[in-house]
Amino acid sequence: MAAIKNITVFTTTTCAYCPMVKEWLSKKGLEYEEAVLDKDPARQQEMIDKSGGMTVPVTLVTREDDTEQIVIGFNPGQLASATAQG
Amino acid sequence: MAKQTIFYGAHWCPDCDRVKKWLGEHDIEYTFKNTDDSQDIVDEMLEKTDGKHLIPTLDIDGTVVQNPSASELAELYDVSEEATENYHDIVTVGAGPSALAAAIYTTREDLDTVLIEKGVVGGLAAVTDKVDNYPGFPEGVAGLKLAEDLRAQAERFGAQIELGEVTEIKDEGQYKRVVTSDGDFLSRAVLIATGSDYKKLGIPGEEDFYGRGVHYCATCDGAFYRDKKLIVVGGGNSAAQEGLFLTKFASQVDILVRSDQMRASDVLVEKVMSHDKINVHFNTTTEEIVGEENKVVKVIGHDKKTDKDVEFETDGVFVFIGLKPNTQFLQNSDVELDDIGLIKTNRTLETAIPGVFASGDVRSGATMQIASAVGEGATAALMMREYLEAGDQELYS
Repeated sequence: MAAIKNITVFTTTTCAYCPMVKEWLSKKGLEYEEAVLDKDPARQQEMIDKSGGMTVPVTLVTREDDTEQIVIGFNPGQLASATAQG
Repeated sequence: MAKQTIFYGAHWCPDCDRVKKWLGEHDIEYTFKNTDDSQDIVDEMLEKTDGKHLIPTLDIDGTVVQNPSASELAELYDVSEEATENYHDIVTVGAGPSALAAAIYTTREDLDTVLIEKGVVGGLAAVTDKVDNYPGFPEGVAGLKLAEDLRAQAERFGAQIELGEVTEIKDEGQYKRVVTSDGDFLSRAVLIATGSDYKKLGIPGEEDFYGRGVHYCATCDGAFYRDKKLIVVGGGNSAAQEGLFLTKFASQVDILVRSDQMRASDVLVEKVMSHDKINVHFNTTTEEIVGEENKVVKVIGHDKKTDKDVEFETDGVFVFIGLKPNTQFLQNSDVELDDIGLIKTNRTLETAIPGVFASGDVRSGATMQIASAVGEGATAALMMREYLEAGDQELYS
């Protein structure tokens, strides 16, 4: 499995599940970029295109070989498999 | 056969706590005799120690040691010095208001407490836009802010929060084994405070458009519906509160209420009924969610008075039709549930498994209020402390 190139977390400021995803990633020592969609509406379409939905949080894990994995919502099990190393 | 251990100690003694923790970390059971309880216990201990008054004193199958180090214990029990179990005095399943309130109390009693949360710390309160009936906040408080403050208060006293999902609770006697997606936790008392989740409608289209027009969290997803038309399904406090929140974004909110009145509080009903962006449709059931090209376009309802179907054009649907308890993981356990899946407890909030307690929305008889959940959490904490002080004396008696 290719190494992780970057992780993007799509959030809104009022969403309580969003900080949980960020906390989970931080506890695992994983760096991420955050797109706050109510402050940065330009990125909404990107999230909708990637996830096919209008719900947050959405976590996009991109690997060095440009494969992408999406986790919708705060789901520790899915986050663990999407960010698995090695 | 496991060695029998009699533990002479007191609840104020830090070295007693240290040794208890070590025993827990090695899954070793013991009978605790509190030297503060009676002179008889003190005399019994002094007889074994040749008059030397020092706690903790352990009688391990007749071998008596006083204030043993970890390496001495490892040798006596013939086990490794390192912990083999992730042990805590108390494990709470869930980290909503009830568990956080309990943790504030238990950690202040120096009980090592870990909370395991699979969703959001603060529970349903955290995803509620505004909480207006929690005492002490004259202007109301944002649910997320209340959740963050409860968490900060519990963490200030040492509560530890772990993110993971509990799949099983095993009663192993003195210790309870809490099995999670990230490994096991061992504790002497467990609090189940898993709360409840929003119910689904179970109608055509609901699953298909989940997250793409069908939502259960207004504070999460409401912002995607700026200047759009929305349907809210439900007539209780959540439907009213979240319907009002959605007017911050939506151009129009239609609320579909199955009965002829809203069950929400009078204050909320008045706000809803007088809001110029909200229309309430009474006696209207929700039958189908219809989408085209990957998005929701309308909801089909049924007007019970005219006995005719009614259609509502919409861009999204938010569902708040009540709560279902988060007790699926207990289906095959000895914890007793009532007809709707809520946990049965006795007057001390203890479940059918001794040492396993329940509080908040998940408890049979709960009032589904944050203030009540917090109160029950505090009560459960005090009951767990009593259980821990009394319960572990009975092992070999």
